Amino acid sequence: MLKQILALTWKDLKVFFKDRGAVVLIFVQPFMFILVMSYALSGIFRAGDRPILILAVNQDKGTQAATVLRQLGETKPFAVEAIWENRPLTQQKAEELIIKGKRNLALIFPPDFSAVLEQIPATRERRTTKVLFIVDPTTSGQLVEPIQGTLQGLLERTAYAAIVPKGVDYLFDKLAPQAPAAERESFKGRAEGAMPGGLTGGETPLVTVERASPPGMRVKKLPDVFQQNVPGYTIYGIFWIVSLLAVSVLREKQEGTFRRLLVAPMGRMVMLAGKLMPYYLINIVQIVIMLGVSSLLFKMSLGHSPAGLVVVSLAAAATATGLGVLVAALGRTEAQIGGLTVLLLLTLSALGGCFVPRFTMPDWLQTVGLMTPHAWALDAYQDLLVRGYGLLEVLPKICALAAFALAFFVIGVWRFRFE
Amino acid sequence: MSLPLVVINGLVKKYGQRVAVQDVSFSIEEGEIFGLLGPNGAGKTTTLSILSTLLIPDQGNVTIGDYDLVRDAKQVKRLIGSVPQELALYPTLSAWDNLVFFGRIYGLQGAELKERVTAVLALVGLSDRAADAVQTFSGGMKRRLNIAAGLIHRPRILFLDEPTVGVDPQSRNFIFEHVERLNEKGLTIVYTTHYMEEAERLCDRVAIMDEGRVLALDTTKGLIDVLGGGVIYLGLPQASLESFLSAVHALAHVSIVTPEDCRLKIETKNARLALLELIELCNAHNVSILSLEMLEPNLESVFLHLTGKRLRD
Repeated sequence: MLKQILALTWKDLKVFFKDRGAVVLIFVQPFMFILVMSYALSGIFRAGDRPILILAVNQDKGTQAATVLRQLGETKPFAVEAIWENRPLTQQKAEELIIKGKRNLALIFPPDFSAVLEQIPATRERRTTKVLFIVDPTTSGQLVEPIQGTLQGLLERTAYAAIVPKGVDYLFDKLAPQAPAAERESFKGRAEGAMPGGLTGGETPLVTVERASPPGMRVKKLPDVFQQNVPGYTIYGIFWIVSLLAVSVLREKQEGTFRRLLVAPMGRMVMLAGKLMPYYLINIVQIVIMLGVSSLLFKMSLGHSPAGLVVVSLAAAATATGLGVLVAALGRTEAQIGGLTVLLLLTLSALGGCFVPRFTMPDWLQTVGLMTPHAWALDAYQDLLVRGYGLLEVLPKICALAAFALAFFVIGVWRFRFE
Repeated sequence: MSLPLVVINGLVKKYGQRVAVQDVSFSIEEGEIFGLLGPNGAGKTTTLSILSTLLIPDQGNVTIGDYDLVRDAKQVKRLIGSVPQELALYPTLSAWDNLVFFGRIYGLQGAELKERVTAVLALVGLSDRAADAVQTFSGGMKRRLNIAAGLIHRPRILFLDEPTVGVDPQSRNFIFEHVERLNEKGLTIVYTTHYMEEAERLCDRVAIMDEGRVLALDTTKGLIDVLGGGVIYLGLPQASLESFLSAVHALAHVSIVTPEDCRLKIETKNARLALLELIELCNAHNVSILSLEMLEPNLESVFLHLTGKRLRD
């Protein structure tokens, strides 16, 4: 029995190693994942090495905003960028950078920031102000919330540090103007310890952080978790059609049904089109279900442009089907197709930002990501669902998807063999 | 027999440097069962692939019906039915669904399609299994359904490529009966096989192929008659070969004697009677027989006679 087991094992090892494509995929694929996922996730797991960049527009006429920004910059994993191309950032420039996708976050400190913080709290005309936190709506809430929390904490601490000495001075001036300076300073130190936050807030904080989207993005309310996750996972899901399509084509070849169909009075392109159409339709149904269920069950907003949604979906499905043709043309065995599919789909999805937002990746990886159809499809969906854009505004991304689809089809059909 | 349905002239097909079919010419009459017999790699499937429009010949021309195979491929495709060697079916679909699909590919629809599917299922004896998935069928049933799929559009000529490969004897007989019944209804059949028994039983005429060439083409009887009553290979000591040649030739049931290496190739009028005469001759001359091989007159012997190889080599 053992000999039989050994014989079977040896035979299958020989069969496996004869399939060089499968061997390469089996051994290369894990390394690809290690590389890609490690780089892609480095922004989350190695925050110290890869800072979260925040644009800062300092309109403050005093020094308090600069203090907050300095402290923010010293807090890992944040890095503050107040200068862009050797010039101090303006609000307009910061918004433009976010719209273009170069950065995701910006802080706008108002001109009266220091004045508000340094006012004496006991006076009747107590003023408040707002720090504008401009966020690309596609930015994950998991990232934004901690930043906003950190910022609020820093603001309170700064306001506190600014207000306590002023308040103590105010009280001494009123109640004990003859008190020596050393006593005042000593009292300030004790007051800071005894009144944590007491002077800064009250019912209404002096400084609040107001989150906003850049102008032009029709975002009525902040995107929910579904608007942020559904597009990514929808795109990830539709590309799995590649595996189904490629394996189906391979079986048609192996089982001789293609050969039988070739004898029928039917052109090869007709045959190929008939083969691809069902998978294209499955993709469309997949998208409709994913978006439909998210909309109905989770009340996810589908944006303002049904036409845009339809065209982006058609283009994304065409790209997925096109990639299926390409893999079907290249894969000679089911093992090859399986390996190639997993390698391609997980790599492209990761690089395209389906799992991890692209802005958390290193710049070079973000650029590489643009070479994937996933990135363009994801951006197009997020433009429609999250940023509130319309068909015309996502047209360039639709064109990019169409170009991917065309390239996949042309190369796939060129390399395709019916037998 | 009427006018030739298929006329093949000087067919050549190469794969790179390898010549798969070399200067093949023959015609097939309407209503006959025409056999292509030869070992694996003889060029049968390539020839059939050309006739099925799957391959374009490098040289030569073929007409089927009134149509040129290359120029009028679309019309030719409507005349031919193809039953490939593989079980070219969708295993997860039912027999009915498979046939409906192939029928639709040929443009059948509605009542006509339903009628054709019903008819071909009955023809191959699978009416009661119409709704079952093909993957639940036995090998023989799958083969029969494979044939049915080739008949769905009422072809004038059916190409059967080794239809009994991997089939048990009972199913094989079933397939033979179907082929004969189809032929009785007037269907022209081209049947490739490397089993000489099948060619002998089914085919009106047989082309024997080897290494891309047609070595002989005739009715089964005509081919076998080439061997007369059979062939005997007689191994004798080297010293006796020359001296024995004329004595063997003089025997009553021997036609031709040819020395071949250390033996004599003896073509006979009746192999069994010739064998008795040979043994008596050897005994009379006190010559010991080193080896003896007798080939009964059949297509296997014809192939061996023509090529020096066995069909299953």
